[in-house]
Amino acid sequence: MSRDELNIKDNTSLFKEERYVQQRENKKQFEAPCSEQETAEALAYSKSAEYMEKNFNRQNVVINPHKACQPLGSVMAALGFEKTLPFVHGSQGCNAYFRSHLSRHFKEPTPSVSTSMTEDAAVFGGMNNLIDGLENSVALYKPEMVAICTTCMAEVIGDDLNSFIGNARIKGVISEEYPVAYCNTPSFVGSHITGYDAMIKGILSYLYTRSGIESKPGSGAESGEKLNVMLGFEPYTGNFAELRKILGAFDTKYTILGDHSGNYDSPATGEYEYYYGGTKLADVPQAANALATLSLQKYTLKKTQEYISGTWNQQLAALSTPLGIKGTDTLLATISELTGLPIPAILTEERGRVVDALMDSHPYLHGKRVALVGDPDLLIGLIGFCLETGMEPVHIICSNGDVDFNEVKFKDEAEALLAASPYGTEATVHVGKDLWHMRSLLLNDKVDLAIGSSHLKFAAKDAEVPLVRVGFPIFDRHHMHRYPIIGYQGTLNLLSLIVNTILQQLDDHNSGFNFELVR
Amino acid sequence: MDPLRQDEFDSQACGSIAPKAKPCPRPKPGEAAGGCSFDGAQITLLPIMDAAHLVHGPIACAGNSWESRGTLSSGPSLSQYGFATDLTDSDIIFGGEKKLKDSIDYIAGRFAPPAIFVYSTCVTALIGQDMDAVCKEAADRIGIPVIPVNSPGFVGSKNLGNRLAGDALLQYVIGTGEPEPETDLGVNLIGEYNIAGEMWDIEKLMNSAGIAVTSRITGDARYKEITWAHRARVNMVVCSRALLGLAKEMESRYGIPYFEGSFYGAKETTYSLRQMAYLMNDREMERRVDRLTEREEARLSQELRPYRKLLRGKRAVLYTGGVKSWSVISALKELGVQVVGVGTNKSTEDDVRRIADRVGDDTEYIPEGGASRIIKTVRERKADIMIAGGRNMYVAMKEQIPFIDINQERHKAYAGYEGLLRLAKELTYSLANPIWKLAASPAPWDKEAPPYDR
Ligand code: SF4
Repeated sequence: MSRDELNIKDNTSLFKEERYVQQRENKKQFEAPCSEQETAEALAYSKSAEYMEKNFNRQNVVINPHKACQPLGSVMAALGFEKTLPFVHGSQGCNAYFRSHLSRHFKEPTPSVSTSMTEDAAVFGGMNNLIDGLENSVALYKPEMVAICTTCMAEVIGDDLNSFIGNARIKGVISEEYPVAYCNTPSFVGSHITGYDAMIKGILSYLYTRSGIESKPGSGAESGEKLNVMLGFEPYTGNFAELRKILGAFDTKYTILGDHSGNYDSPATGEYEYYYGGTKLADVPQAANALATLSLQKYTLKKTQEYISGTWNQQLAALSTPLGIKGTDTLLATISELTGLPIPAILTEERGRVVDALMDSHPYLHGKRVALVGDPDLLIGLIGFCLETGMEPVHIICSNGDVDFNEVKFKDEAEALLAASPYGTEATVHVGKDLWHMRSLLLNDKVDLAIGSSHLKFAAKDAEVPLVRVGFPIFDRHHMHRYPIIGYQGTLNLLSLIVNTILQQLDDHNSGFNFELVR
Repeated sequence: MDPLRQDEFDSQACGSIAPKAKPCPRPKPGEAAGGCSFDGAQITLLPIMDAAHLVHGPIACAGNSWESRGTLSSGPSLSQYGFATDLTDSDIIFGGEKKLKDSIDYIAGRFAPPAIFVYSTCVTALIGQDMDAVCKEAADRIGIPVIPVNSPGFVGSKNLGNRLAGDALLQYVIGTGEPEPETDLGVNLIGEYNIAGEMWDIEKLMNSAGIAVTSRITGDARYKEITWAHRARVNMVVCSRALLGLAKEMESRYGIPYFEGSFYGAKETTYSLRQMAYLMNDREMERRVDRLTEREEARLSQELRPYRKLLRGKRAVLYTGGVKSWSVISALKELGVQVVGVGTNKSTEDDVRRIADRVGDDTEYIPEGGASRIIKTVRERKADIMIAGGRNMYVAMKEQIPFIDINQERHKAYAGYEGLLRLAKELTYSLANPIWKLAASPAPWDKEAPPYDR
């Protein structure tokens, strides 16, 4: 069968045909009766400075949010542990959303179940749902651990997970020893990153406490040489691989606490299993005896960090997503400091190569004005990267609220970082704002490039700004999450992504006499 | 919200007013269930493209779901905006009413929509807000309809949500407007959401037969056209599961006859067009429909010939969410594809009966979800292809099973005669792609099987 015969038009091309265009024209009669002129005026107004001011004064409605809720983060966290089934206590819809949200980003299945609470549970509490749910899911999916998080509904009716799980044991639905970790994650507080944190802390503290081990930091003969590493709410499976490569080069032993890269990057073998990879459950209590813990998303992992330095009484180094040369330098220096191992020559060499690449591209990056949207730790990394390449961050939006970290807030840190560079002087950092605010910013104060998740594409298109997709979620591009953006290699990937978007833009908008082959 | 008895809910979810003997299956705790009623309500109402849709609740419901449905618009895009009140803990304690009121005012002032739909969610329903009162008060104040949609997630399944959205349309929208004098009255399409633009293919067909669409409920709809839906001459229910109740109620209130039909497959399409003309009681129109359907069917069968040859005897497992299984079975049968397993999870009793009419005795019914259950059927029945929704797609990939997306995220329109041709091509594509051979052959150094040889 020839290609031509098989040519199926999908909705991007099909509906550009004349007859469909005609059909759409005909439909105008149903639309709200206002003239083309009025529409154009309203559109122009929405792009004006006056509207921007009103938009920024908006208090009570969120338009195009750039965050997801706590339990979504908890599901991702649970998938970071070996044969662990995420279990969402609430009505059925939330879990369905989490599954499709995560699957659309990673293009992988997401095993996660729900207690499917209904109106009876709303009145009488969700205990029966939880107990039945445990029984059914353990029988069906045979997990080695269940990790329960709550939704806003379970929180509003005040369900007590601890006693419900206890009752499930008493009833014999699960045995006394069967591990069930849990955390409370109402959606009306925090966001996906706080939910991630809550579940990681929930699992670490649960497995540690029940093991009966007493932590003696850095004392265990073998485990004492190990380093704990946490990546946080990590939308890039490639970042796990990159980090492994770096730790491997150091030749240090390590445990990644919360590693969902197996589940979200498994091979197509012809047989689907529910669980792939993940931190071994037995490694968790041992992790209490490690040398130290390295956290790569300090704003995300706030409570977990407090737990580790408090209860495990362990040395802790907390960084933000290690992006860019300086960000990666800090990562390597920190690993070296924590483990006492020298920085491997192979990484120094890699650094040199990436610096070389940055030099090759710098003429195209210098002075480029950039808008950034993302989670706090990613933004710190991205700001650092922009500044070291001569790009100028202009608009920065973090919808995730502000997060305290040892008295330092994200906004303060970001502003200090920007103030320290001549390329950061134009930037404004907005916390708790949404993508409709960003649209106003993009339209009123033009930039050359926007960096953020797929959700930003609508505002970017309105403002005719090219979008480089970085962060979570990325629904409309394939395989971005497989390429690391951390470390020197990740820096190189990010650089190629950005500089080639700019070069493409040059070609697209070329008048003809400058359509050059060599750049 | 008035508490409803369990059986009332169940029966409503099934689309009939009278309680049924066998209620729809409810999700079992501990399984990976489908979407909630809130999701269902949005599926039904979001295709009203020029309206604003405000989600009243914490960030969960809106933050995880906006912009993620493949329902296309031919013009306005306000419906794609993610509006949310984003309640926080203090709102939960003090009630989110002021926030809701301010949000409505802001949207009305800045976006001037013809109407605002306000959705309750689990939390707002639980903390006992009088959303209806806030909406009513706001509507009076700002002078545009503000429609409360009381379909919080915990009341049940997606289908129940579709149904509750239909109730909101009946209560607040249908019958509140009158068509302009020159409007050509005809058929309401109920339960057609313009996924991948299917509505446009259907409309094109109807127009060529001289049948006008009065209101789209709700694929690519404009608010205004739904207000005069009660003036239509015929109702066609495209998705019976969810909105049959709406058609029944319109029949008793406004005397509009209805029928259930589908546009999947040539036969069903022809039947639906004929039925419209028949119920319009217009001989001339019936003749036009006959001429059109004859011509289209003849042309289609010509064009389908090469694909039929390739598809004959192929075996498929079908697991659909929103789309009626039985009508897709008809379409597949016309292509020579045999359905060896079919999901009945979301089917009404009527649907199951229709399925039984169309499949052979050895077809396996898959009553409830879970990817592994579907995969098992594919394996046991030696199916060549799996036709299901996006959430099951990645499991199919892991199992190296050719796959076609049939649910709301799909990008191909399969309705009508041209849609069937597109489905035939898509099936051929999916089955013929070289990746399946590559995937099935082990690495060449793995001696057990001959190396990949393409
Ligand atoms: S189940 Fe309730 S809280 Fe969850 S998405 Fe549906 S309406 Fe929202």
